[in-house]
Amino acid sequence: MITAERKPLPEIKESITPYKKVLIVGCGTCVAECASGGEKEVALLASALRMDAKKEGRDLEVHEITLDRQCVYEFIDQLAELVDRYEVVLSLGCGAGVQAVAEVFPKIHVIPALNTTFIAQTKEAGVWIENCRGCGDCRLDQFADICPITRCAKSLFNGPCGGSKGGYCEVDPETPCAWHLIVTRLEESGRLEKLAPLYPPANWSKKEGKGPRKIVREDQRH
Amino acid sequence: MSGASIGRPFFPRVMTTEENRSNVAIFFCQQLDPDQDVNRRALEKELGTRIRFFPLPCSGRIEALHLMRALEAGADKAYLVTCPVGACRYREGNIRAKKRVEFAQKLIQEIGLEPERFELVNASSPGPFSIDAMARELINKAGGLPSSPLNVKKPKEAAHNTP
Amino acid sequence: MKPESRLKKVLAAGQFAVTAECGPPKGADPEAVRKKGNLLKGFVDSANVTDNQTGVVRLSSLASCVILREEGLDPVLQMVTRDRNRIALQSDVLGASALGIRNILCLSGDHQSFGNQPEAKGVFDIDSTQFIRLVRQMRDEGTMLGGDKLTLPPELFIGAVENPFADPRSYRARRLEKKAKAGAEFIQTQCIYNVPYFKEWMKQVRDLGVDAKLFILGGVTPLKSVKMAEYMAKNVAGMDIPEEVIDRLKGVPSGEQKKEGLKICIETIQQLREIKGIRGVHIMAIEWEEAVAQIVEGARLLPRPAVQ
Repeated sequence: MITAERKPLPEIKESITPYKKVLIVGCGTCVAECASGGEKEVALLASALRMDAKKEGRDLEVHEITLDRQCVYEFIDQLAELVDRYEVVLSLGCGAGVQAVAEVFPKIHVIPALNTTFIAQTKEAGVWIENCRGCGDCRLDQFADICPITRCAKSLFNGPCGGSKGGYCEVDPETPCAWHLIVTRLEESGRLEKLAPLYPPANWSKKEGKGPRKIVREDQRH
Repeated sequence: MSGASIGRPFFPRVMTTEENRSNVAIFFCQQLDPDQDVNRRALEKELGTRIRFFPLPCSGRIEALHLMRALEAGADKAYLVTCPVGACRYREGNIRAKKRVEFAQKLIQEIGLEPERFELVNASSPGPFSIDAMARELINKAGGLPSSPLNVKKPKEAAHNTP
Repeated sequence: MKPESRLKKVLAAGQFAVTAECGPPKGADPEAVRKKGNLLKGFVDSANVTDNQTGVVRLSSLASCVILREEGLDPVLQMVTRDRNRIALQSDVLGASALGIRNILCLSGDHQSFGNQPEAKGVFDIDSTQFIRLVRQMRDEGTMLGGDKLTLPPELFIGAVENPFADPRSYRARRLEKKAKAGAEFIQTQCIYNVPYFKEWMKQVRDLGVDAKLFILGGVTPLKSVKMAEYMAKNVAGMDIPEEVIDRLKGVPSGEQKKEGLKICIETIQQLREIKGIRGVHIMAIEWEEAVAQIVEGARLLPRPAVQ
């Protein structure tokens, strides 16, 4: 999923300062799964903003709505009847959601309330780890299914750097060294020879290419 | 986060209306007091809108939003009363409850409210307890906290309300 | 006269080589480089110039190397893949050769979060092993990545680093083998304090036949104090400083610790010389370049051999 974290309230508050009628739009998919932008989080933010306004004696009208997916037009359409009644949309979608809503409603100001972070695996309840950078050229099978691009702080392709200690990364001692994991996993399954060939420079054009990437699937189009 | 605990049922004097005008929301684990719906009635009658009870199947079911909504609806303070530590019927419910309350405390701190407006109370010693007695003790304690700024009418608001 | 690598010649002649590290200043100050260079001159065969070490911005390694060359030293250009993509790396490799630099050390570099620009974007387009292979390709095949022909290939003696003490230790000799396969011709190791373990690692290296494929220079860093030793042991990942070494420093009064640190360093070099497959020593006297002369002299590595 795509993870995100809510921005600090003062930052959100400052961004909506000029507005008195705010439509808060959540997303029921990834950011709901990581508890940053789903229905509950929309309600929490709305409650906090309302209380804050009341405390300061400001008028603030807040409306809450959570779309199933904020990055898909069919769902965004649900906002069509609402947006005109509000001065601003405060989006609790990921960056893709914010932009999709803004694209559908060119005249409305859409403000992100989340900082979108990464593609994640839920490690345990309340813990999400980044383990894919979407490089567009997956070679996980060559690295014992542990992505060195994402999980090694230096994205090394040919073995661990000199800063691995006790299986953890010197850059963040709470993060397991990806190469320690790769080597251990291959050693234990007798496949260490997988690492013998020199891994050539990556083809970043599949990630960086010609700017933003696009997928077109004719069979899926209308 | 206060880990204040309260003891077996006893009947302290509830402050008079002049002394204590605080509004209190009490979320509590139903396992604490099997007769909670009967036991809480007297106090509800006595204090009217100043007290609201919210029984939960387990304190671990509390959501930050419940606490936020209580404050928004006019409570000066919201308590979450849990079973004694280590005595949760669902094992970790009251441990999770603590984390939820702490999260809600952070949220209200962001808008400049005192974290003490949310408090987790672990019942001490084995029950059964009377939610009525516990609530009387808590509402007395809440009297020490100033009224929620949300409940204080701002001059602007007052003017607005004047015809 | 056409510039040549003194380091390569010393090693090829079977002499025990001495290199030392020289850290550029945090400013546009050529004199600071000259001063440090002159502390090393005559005591080392070649001087490594660090490349924004620990992610702290300093006078460029390439510029410092050119200054050292002017002073008559044989510089080793350290280049990290942290700050440059493959376009910049290849361009600077060509530039270095054109300016008469003849040694290069290919590293990935300390992560940017450690330095004074923690908000920088780390590049890491290619890794150190891929970089070794790339320089080798440029030099030996006369092509750049993608196959374009170079009008004139760079002339560089190609080095890399290895840390026998980092985890996973079981893989470290294999990793060195991989760097040899990529085309590294000399290796400078991380600081050695745990000589018994280093000997074990060298045995693994010899068993793989890697010592015959490249020249291995053992790394040493003189300890200035108990405090420094304890700091390094605790905070620098992949640094193995045994208790005995720290105890030995503790056994002398604080005013004598520097001297004891030098003594330990000299003894380490003498032990390293006895290990089969060790072809030289790399002295990293961090902000203590004055110590290099004393160490080299103390280890009886003077005079440095004359080369053709």
